[in-house]
Amino acid sequence: MSLSTRREAIRAFLEEEADRLDSGDLAGWLELCTEGSSYWMPVSSEQTDPHHEISLLYENRTLMELRVRNFGHRLAPSFETPVRCSHLIGRIRIRDDTPPELEVTARFHCVMWYRNEQRIFAGDSRYDLLEKGGSFRIRRKRVDLLNADASHKSIPIYL
Amino acid sequence: MDRRKLNDLVREDRVHRRVYTDPEIFDLEMARLWSRAWIYVGHESQVPEVGCYYTTTVGTRPVVMVRDETDRVRVLHNRCAHKGARIVTRPSGRSSVLRCPYHGWSYHLDGSLAVAPHPTGFEGTGFDRCDPAFHLKPLARSASYGGFVFAQIEDSGVDLETFLGDTRRTLDNVLDRAPEGRVTVVGPGLPYLHECNWKMFVENLNDAVHPMVAHASVGDACRRYMADLSPPEPPPEAQIIDPFGSSYEFFDKMGVTALPCGHSYMGATSSIHTGYSDIPGYHEALVARHGEQKTRAVLSQNRHNTIVYPSFTIKDAIQALRVVRPISVRETLIDTYHLRLEGAPEALLRRTITYSRLINSPASMVGPDDWECYTRMQEALSHDGGDWVYLGRHLHQEHDTNDGLRAPGTSDLSARNQFKAWLEYLTGPETEMTGEARCR
Repeated sequence: MSLSTRREAIRAFLEEEADRLDSGDLAGWLELCTEGSSYWMPVSSEQTDPHHEISLLYENRTLMELRVRNFGHRLAPSFETPVRCSHLIGRIRIRDDTPPELEVTARFHCVMWYRNEQRIFAGDSRYDLLEKGGSFRIRRKRVDLLNADASHKSIPIYL
Repeated sequence: MDRRKLNDLVREDRVHRRVYTDPEIFDLEMARLWSRAWIYVGHESQVPEVGCYYTTTVGTRPVVMVRDETDRVRVLHNRCAHKGARIVTRPSGRSSVLRCPYHGWSYHLDGSLAVAPHPTGFEGTGFDRCDPAFHLKPLARSASYGGFVFAQIEDSGVDLETFLGDTRRTLDNVLDRAPEGRVTVVGPGLPYLHECNWKMFVENLNDAVHPMVAHASVGDACRRYMADLSPPEPPPEAQIIDPFGSSYEFFDKMGVTALPCGHSYMGATSSIHTGYSDIPGYHEALVARHGEQKTRAVLSQNRHNTIVYPSFTIKDAIQALRVVRPISVRETLIDTYHLRLEGAPEALLRRTITYSRLINSPASMVGPDDWECYTRMQEALSHDGGDWVYLGRHLHQEHDTNDGLRAPGTSDLSARNQFKAWLEYLTGPETEMTGEARCR
């Protein structure tokens, strides 16, 4: 496979991921993750330990499963108003490609419409992917927000 | 605003919506309550060495906490005595002097003026480098209890220990839970910007009739997930999330205790944190310090949210503390900090961090549901359409104990007690009541 074909396959996968987040299909998003996957959004880009320092998010598969079931729940006051997102992804780079494992980074901008307000999130995403049967799965995703250390209002969905 | 008008806003079982929405009242709160109460600044471990500083706010005023050359922790207004520029803008750091970037006035770590450049221009002007008017102004008083630093903008005449009263037992318990007898703040705080009046957050801390409603979804999600597992074995995270769906009866049994100065706590020997599993090695480490009997006593104290009104709340069994920082009548920053129990297994810190991420983070599945409810109150109370907020649950059913006024956990006692103190602060000092009396 040529490098450009490979890059194209990865781009398609990340765009599919963004599609599922943007449409609020968290169950579909979770299908893109491995059984042992984790999602990390630290409060500082220098953070190296998710367990002994606070993060905005650090979720293992169990918490992801809970989040899928909680997202949009009819009993959750925070989900009476819808969450709509629009991701743009760019500067996708393959950092390491040792089949079946890949390390990929990308930049993203995400515009979020929630509670009568349009907000902008931007940052770096770092993916550990697993290639299986011509397709990819997310083993780890780390999102470093440009303003990770800012005073955030509620962030109702994965970015 | 005169006393009579303020008195009209607080009744025995209800408060007027203006207490949450009127900017004039917010200004009065800053001038009278947040200037006269002891306000939490930070923990001494955040400035571990000489020259270390940490910036924050007391009320709405920017301050810097700094460890001076004599190892004393000082709390100074973060403003140059020359033209008023903010001196320190980094959240924390270390420096041998505090220097203003505008005209180069530089201050020693105790706030005294070290250098004002080109001194010939001051000759014969009355300028005196030793005059405290040209120093970084200290807050009227600052003091530490077990490393927790509080400060007062005005000296109310009450010392910190008297002000803390029985909430000291919560702080003592936190320290007793550390095998080395001390705690350390770990990492940066976790700020969460709320679009509501600060009092809504503080009242909610000991409001036990909201969890089973506002947090019903996450409990349901947790149960549905467990049902999907085969075999249905509860994941460790369920230990933290599940109790949020506890029954009214469970919370009633926990009880709420109201203390002078607007302080309060829920629980005593049981709380939503009682059922946590033991961490290997921890019990043994505590026994080595306290002996078996005292260790049992230390671990059996379980106060859910101890509120040191108006600025500070801590969970003794969780080692996470939250700090209230009002910004405006409708904006409040809540900062969460995490404590390492020195000498305890790292697994305890890991549990503290996990708890906080699951409950206090702006991206969690719990905090945003509280946030939503506060915001709705703030939005709706800003308009006419019913002036009163009701706080009457279990009114007149408190009983006086040696440890404070106690009531069933779902009582509104804690909120009523906060407004009692609120009114005393706001209507003072014209009242006969001195600061000392206020805290008795």
